[in-house]
Amino acid sequence: MRTQSGPRRAGPAFSLALAALSLALMLGGGSARAEYGDVVMNNYSDAAGMRPVVFPHWFHRVRFRCKVCHADLGFEFKAGGNKINMLKIIDGQYCGACHNGEIAWSVENCNLCHSAKPGTPTQVHESTIQKLSVPQGTK
Amino acid sequence: MKTLAVIVAPLLLAVSSASSAQGAGKGIYDKTCSVCHATGINGAPKFGNAADWSPRIAGGAAKLYQSALAGTAKGMPAKGGNPNLSDAEVKSAVDYMLAQVSKPAKKEEATAKKDEPAPKEPAAKKDEAAVKADKPAAKEPAAKKDDAATAKAEKPAAAAAPAVAAAAAPAVAPVAAAAPPTAATGDVNAFNRLLRPMGQRNAAPTQDGIHDPANDGTQALQPPLSAFDKMPKSSAGNRVNWVQALAEKKINPRWDRADVKAEPVVMDLNIVREVKGSMPDVVYPHKQHTEWLDCSNCHPAIFVPQKGANQISMAAILLGQKCGVCHGKVAFPVSECRLCHSKKKDGTTERTAEAPAAAPAGAKK
Repeated sequence: MRTQSGPRRAGPAFSLALAALSLALMLGGGSARAEYGDVVMNNYSDAAGMRPVVFPHWFHRVRFRCKVCHADLGFEFKAGGNKINMLKIIDGQYCGACHNGEIAWSVENCNLCHSAKPGTPTQVHESTIQKLSVPQGTK
Repeated sequence: MKTLAVIVAPLLLAVSSASSAQGAGKGIYDKTCSVCHATGINGAPKFGNAADWSPRIAGGAAKLYQSALAGTAKGMPAKGGNPNLSDAEVKSAVDYMLAQVSKPAKKEEATAKKDEPAPKEPAAKKDEAAVKADKPAAKEPAAKKDDAATAKAEKPAAAAAPAVAAAAAPAVAPVAAAAPPTAATGDVNAFNRLLRPMGQRNAAPTQDGIHDPANDGTQALQPPLSAFDKMPKSSAGNRVNWVQALAEKKINPRWDRADVKAEPVVMDLNIVREVKGSMPDVVYPHKQHTEWLDCSNCHPAIFVPQKGANQISMAAILLGQKCGVCHGKVAFPVSECRLCHSKKKDGTTERTAEAPAAAPAGAKK
């Protein structure tokens, strides 16, 4: 049962964090309205003349536990930190462990992954970091 | 066939008046609409198939135009997924497709009822009933195949197994897919004008600002609301309470890539971390974390598995370290203070390990 919280004496560190957080939340209303956790990967796509990849975390989360990709398949917890390319995928690594026509649809469906607006930078959409460090006015 | 003719007749006014636009309609059909309507994938009414079209025609031309222009929750993307088309062009394509199914009836009935407007009200109901009648049939058995099909909402899977695709696009309307959220109005004194309005959350891929609407693959992606519809809600992140969804078995994500029967090894151990400030102490539940994650995801790289060995601060979390590796990126964001800071200094625990499943903070109000 939740009880009424007592008198609050916020320490300076906490106030700072709260200020940063509220600032972050205020700046969060950027133009893009993509789903929380959508990862845009643009390590090589733009340079190769493809649209960047959008990875929908929510879609995969409905179907797989985090562990399947982040422990079994070795995906680092960092957007753009995995250096994934099509060679590795076709070789059965990373996305290719499932996107092989057996567990999920296979690599010839380029545009299902390569679906971001050209030039979209690598990011975790709506992440705290993105809100804190990307000046929204410049978009 | 006779009944179809009666149903179709009022529409012919629109069809025949637009006959000059037929040529243009065909061109647009061939380029855009035919992707789905030629074969009838993803539940699309098949080109020239009267059985597919008659319940829709019964709803009136205006309703069909509306569906074509704004898209539907069942999977029709707005303007067939090509935002470059003008309204008139979309309508001409609709007319062209209607003309194919109504041709046999055209000659007999067209003149008879020319000036009668489409009977909107009752017809709309008929349409809904028809949709309801054919949806659950496809949906029920398909839903049970859940774990067999992973990418079911997307086109290639749908082509192979249309019944499964129907399960992914439930008949219950996801709001964002049906009506594109309007942009924030220019009212500077609007309440909470910096917070995102409800209608702009969980936007469909074509409208989310990141996906390229001109990309044909974007149309095939599942809109989030069609998946979140039946899941418990929360007030942040995806607006879905994932932990509760898992506990209530609303979702059944695999623990193993290929083995559908693999079960997680759940460890039920709460770690209490005393915090220096006035915030309640943090209770870290291993249980909810091990339901999703493997020990090796966190230990030892992010957290040294030893009491007192981990310095954690909100600053580090906000910068994406420690808890912030997931919280604030994909797990519930840092705005949900009390989900972690849940143990009062005097010893009362607001939220135990079991609590979020039973009564999440968002649902308490």
